[in-house]
Amino acid sequence: MKDRAVKNGSLVWRLVRSAALWAVPALLVTALSLILFYRASTYRIFDDPLINTISSLIAYVETDAGDGKLVLTSEPIDPSYQRALSGRYWLIGKLQENGQLEPIISSPSLYGATLVLPKADAAKIKNQSGAVVHSIALGPDKEPLRLAAQSVIFPDTDSPVVIVVAADRRSAAKAMRQFSYLAFGLMTIIALGLSAAIFMQVRLGLRPLFDLRDKVADVRQGRKSSVEGAYPKEIKPLADELNILIGHNKEVVDYARTHVGNLAHALKTPLAVLVNEADNKNTKFAKLVMRQTEEMSRQVDHHLRRARAAVRGQSIGVKTSVTDTVTSLTRTLERIYRDKDLDIQIMIPENLLFRGEKRDLEEMVGNLMDNACKWTQTGIHIRAELDQVRDGRLRLSVDDDGPGLGEDEYEKVLKRGLRLDEATPGSGFGLSIVNDLATAYKGSLHLEKSSHGGLRAVLILPSISDVL
Amino acid sequence: MRILIVEDDPDLSRQLSTALKDAGYAVDMANDGEEGHFLGDTEPYDAVVLDLGLPVIDGISILQKWRSDGKKFPVIILTARDQWSEKVSGFDAGADDYLTKPFHTEELLARLRALVRRAAGHTTDTIDIGDLMVDNRSARAFVEGMPIKLTSHEFRLLAYMAMHVGRVISRTELVEHIYDQDFDRDSNTIEVFVGRLRRKIGVDRIETVRGLGYRLLDPSKDGN
Repeated sequence: MKDRAVKNGSLVWRLVRSAALWAVPALLVTALSLILFYRASTYRIFDDPLINTISSLIAYVETDAGDGKLVLTSEPIDPSYQRALSGRYWLIGKLQENGQLEPIISSPSLYGATLVLPKADAAKIKNQSGAVVHSIALGPDKEPLRLAAQSVIFPDTDSPVVIVVAADRRSAAKAMRQFSYLAFGLMTIIALGLSAAIFMQVRLGLRPLFDLRDKVADVRQGRKSSVEGAYPKEIKPLADELNILIGHNKEVVDYARTHVGNLAHALKTPLAVLVNEADNKNTKFAKLVMRQTEEMSRQVDHHLRRARAAVRGQSIGVKTSVTDTVTSLTRTLERIYRDKDLDIQIMIPENLLFRGEKRDLEEMVGNLMDNACKWTQTGIHIRAELDQVRDGRLRLSVDDDGPGLGEDEYEKVLKRGLRLDEATPGSGFGLSIVNDLATAYKGSLHLEKSSHGGLRAVLILPSISDVL
Repeated sequence: MRILIVEDDPDLSRQLSTALKDAGYAVDMANDGEEGHFLGDTEPYDAVVLDLGLPVIDGISILQKWRSDGKKFPVIILTARDQWSEKVSGFDAGADDYLTKPFHTEELLARLRALVRRAAGHTTDTIDIGDLMVDNRSARAFVEGMPIKLTSHEFRLLAYMAMHVGRVISRTELVEHIYDQDFDRDSNTIEVFVGRLRRKIGVDRIETVRGLGYRLLDPSKDGN
């Protein structure tokens, strides 16, 4: 039972897990899309001034009429280009195969240094003359740069020149990093919130099921005799089936009991006939029949009791008043032992309930009381109470003032089939029957010395502490 | 003493009947619940041996009917059902004793004797009336310590009169309590038995009360 529970987990967790199975990837994809989109737009904003500067430079470049060198008629306005190592640079020059730029004119901010482009980008720039290509490079101050480059062929020149505008990309990278953190953080919070919501929803949705579980426990413990309450149509059939099953269980127990009883009746009458036929006849055959029939009836008794005990303790949702049972037994025992004129004292709270069949309680208490009445001198005492110390179970004791038993005999008489009283025919099984029955009810029977002088038998049984 | 046995097993019925007759009882037998109930309802038995699992009507129902009709004869339940719940319902229905099968015949006889004498207000199985002693245990009678030879009918007559010593008993009552149902009841035979009994235990012990019946006298109590 426990292994299965571990293997299958809880229904709540199954539902939460299956919801998370789609929610988590969906959230992850959303976060990544947002980051990519933000990255693209950040670069667009970053690149616009670079491209504008390229356009300005193209407009400002002129070919000197004298030596054919390139000169600038004006410089880009941004003062950053004037400040040395400011992080914003432009450069007009020739691009070498290895990506090195050979400057013709450059911004003062470069401070005489040049830029080295990755080879792949260098080739790309050469091949796509007139198009703006984005690349990266290290600046003069070793700062990471993002740059825009365009290969241009000016009139009156034979070879193309490359115009490069660069800016420090660290601020943009930082913004993008921060956005990633934010995006993932928010998505995680949403994921957690979603899980909690699913969990709550599932618990709420499954509440009727939990309620059913509690009701079944009530039935099992005998507080109710069937599963009651209104259930949603999905689990109503389950509740109905459970009630049918509970009813069926009762029927099966009754059926088994009835048939065991019938078997007893069917076997014992022929046995009685054989015993009577052989009794008091002094032939060898009669003695043999006598011995064998006695053994047969002993076996029949023993196995019938075992069979009866097997169906006991299994009936669900049954409770029995202890007071009523003891009162009716007292009435019976007073008639059986009327010649002895016994004083039977009962101390039992009115609302005490035994969780089990009346006939089983009668069998246990009847045997104990009968045994006590048989041995006692003046009377017997029956007490019953809820044992608050031991998880609220029912504790019933029967005391007599007879000869009692030695402590070494206690265990022997509780053993199955041993006759405590060999002298009285048919009565020897008493205490072992009680012991078997109490065990079937997951209770116990033990013997001790009574404060009244004789034997005290203490029965511990399941109870129902609440009032009817 | 007249006993009714209600038992559906023919072998057991026969055995019980033989044992009870040997013990000095007049015995009627019924092998189903309906017949058993009818006999108990119409005949004045001194005790009934009743099985519980019977055809037609079960033993508990028969007992309840008898008791609600005011029948007071002692009833011993003889059954295979040995659970306390069954004992309780047996006693609650009005049983006086309960014996479970299989059983020893002596046990049943002892319990029957106890029931019959308790019903008549006696405390022992032997009844002493002056120097006459009736021993129900052995179904014998003694005068001055010497056993007297009695037929079974004579013993039944004596035992019944001894049980009700000092009371005037009508012929009809005697007939009802010493003969079983199948016996050809001719009340003249009672006079024959009384005459024979008088010769054996002493003429003066049984008084004839004209028009009413007979009375067994206890010489130790004057005025009887």
